Amino acid sequence: MKRLLIILLMGGLVSCASVGKVETGENTLGERMTVNLDGAWNQIKAPGLGPAQIWTMEGLPIDQLLIYTGLKDGEAITSKNSASGGKMKNLDFRASMTPDEIVSLFEGMLTRDGSSFKLLKLEPANFGGLKKGFHFEFSLIRKVDNTQLLGMGYGAVSQGELFAMLYQAPRLSFFPRYRGKVEQIALSARIKQI
Amino acid sequence: MNRRRFLSMGCVCCLNLIPGISLAQSDSWPDWQIPPRFARPDLSSDEGGLWALMDREEKRVRQSPFCIRDPQLHDYVLDIICRLGGDHCPDIRAYVMHNPIFNAMMAPNGMMQVWTGLMLRIDNEAQLAAVLGHELGHYFSRHSIDQLRDAESRSAFAQFFGIFGLVGAVGQIAAIAGAFAHSREHERVADRIGLELMSKAGYDPAEAAKVWENLLVELKASPNEDPTRENPMFATHPPADERRETLARLVEAHPGGVTNEATWLDKMAPYRREWLDDEIKRSQHEQSIALLNRLISRSPSQPDYLFARAEVRRLRSNDTDLDQAINDYKSAISLGNAPPESYRGLGMIYMARKQTEEARTNLGHYLDLSPASPDGLMIKSYIEEMKI
Repeated sequence: MKRLLIILLMGGLVSCASVGKVETGENTLGERMTVNLDGAWNQIKAPGLGPAQIWTMEGLPIDQLLIYTGLKDGEAITSKNSASGGKMKNLDFRASMTPDEIVSLFEGMLTRDGSSFKLLKLEPANFGGLKKGFHFEFSLIRKVDNTQLLGMGYGAVSQGELFAMLYQAPRLSFFPRYRGKVEQIALSARIKQI
Repeated sequence: MNRRRFLSMGCVCCLNLIPGISLAQSDSWPDWQIPPRFARPDLSSDEGGLWALMDREEKRVRQSPFCIRDPQLHDYVLDIICRLGGDHCPDIRAYVMHNPIFNAMMAPNGMMQVWTGLMLRIDNEAQLAAVLGHELGHYFSRHSIDQLRDAESRSAFAQFFGIFGLVGAVGQIAAIAGAFAHSREHERVADRIGLELMSKAGYDPAEAAKVWENLLVELKASPNEDPTRENPMFATHPPADERRETLARLVEAHPGGVTNEATWLDKMAPYRREWLDDEIKRSQHEQSIALLNRLISRSPSQPDYLFARAEVRRLRSNDTDLDQAINDYKSAISLGNAPPESYRGLGMIYMARKQTEEARTNLGHYLDLSPASPDGLMIKSYIEEMKI
């Protein structure tokens, strides 16, 4: 019965999903974050998709850019409804987390379905105008179709809230094609202090 | 019926046996013999269609990046299968699949998959033989085709009732419940056959029940959950007392046998850290701690298990977790040959506690031991920050 409810819920989500256009130029994301785009992106909108904005250039599931615009302490990085297979992991963000712990959270989210994650790089980086940010890169073998992906992310914690970007795409063509665009968005990101 | 459902019926999963800890209902089963090798069924038959579909699935499995292509490990598993399966040996292909979940499955065309989450959890070769024997039990009994035919008839039954609204829903549930009962009977039969096979191959059949008992301990460790929520079929498994009595009778009927613990531990040693790393990443902290408590009890001088438990506790960070994690990290290091990440774990805890000297020392030690680690630049930045 529980599975039936999940199926009905997922069916409902699919029927409610829409795609919007994120215009070139400055965009305000959430209450405290702005980014400056040098080209338009597509944004997937649907109830229950989770706390991150979902952007894509080629369409899901080819490439995906998740943008967190101020996740608060104790909030999960993904929707409880979006667990695929097996039980939900503990994926709650804590404001005291270090960058490696935050990356582990993302890893946990990306491997819920049995996909295989490998961290390639984790280093300090400016993000959103904050010096205490971080940048990481990873490879992922997606379980559902055995596709080999590459991914990158940026993040920073400001006033107890998580701001982050996480991009992933197939490694041979799509990731190299859009990597520069994602880096440009990350460089343009600004986080307001309140 | 969609492809995924069809495939799931084609492979009879060991995981289904979790609730079916139910062992054979009688002490012996003198009439059962391994059947002759199966001929490939006619492609126009339903069984032939199932085989063809499984052949395509096997091609996907063979090419999967999750398939572990280690000839030594593969040959070892296949050797056990052949000892259990006798004349059927040439018809069976084994695939060790990288997946941290406890599972094994057998397809009617002879494709057997064993997942690494299962291999991490077993203690010896006899326990692996118990699982493989159980899967062979499904294969010899051709349960996949039984389930396919049963599902087809139930599907028609359920669809018929589905047109009658709520009353129809009750009918559909009854059909599903009937399918579970059907599956449980299959599990009992596969249990029996598995025990017969492992006993004949010289393994100690008492190890079979330990596999499932150990798994139950893990499942019960989950907070606010019980095994019935992990798997719907748990709700109807035989009571624990009944299982113990049945097991006692079976062990009496098949006494003795080897476990080959040392052989198994030697074979899995090259993979131990990788499989433990997968387990940590499952983020099922309570289950992982229950598992690691058992593994540490079994192998107290193995630093990898202590390190893994420390990592799980550090990630969970409840109450006394960090103090216990420090103890485990230190114990692992004192045993020698601990993973370098033990120093990183210690350093991270000390850093969180503002014990900067200890933090810098341990993080520095980690970088010395793992100069090319992917998080090296981040760790260096932590050390630099603590100098300020």
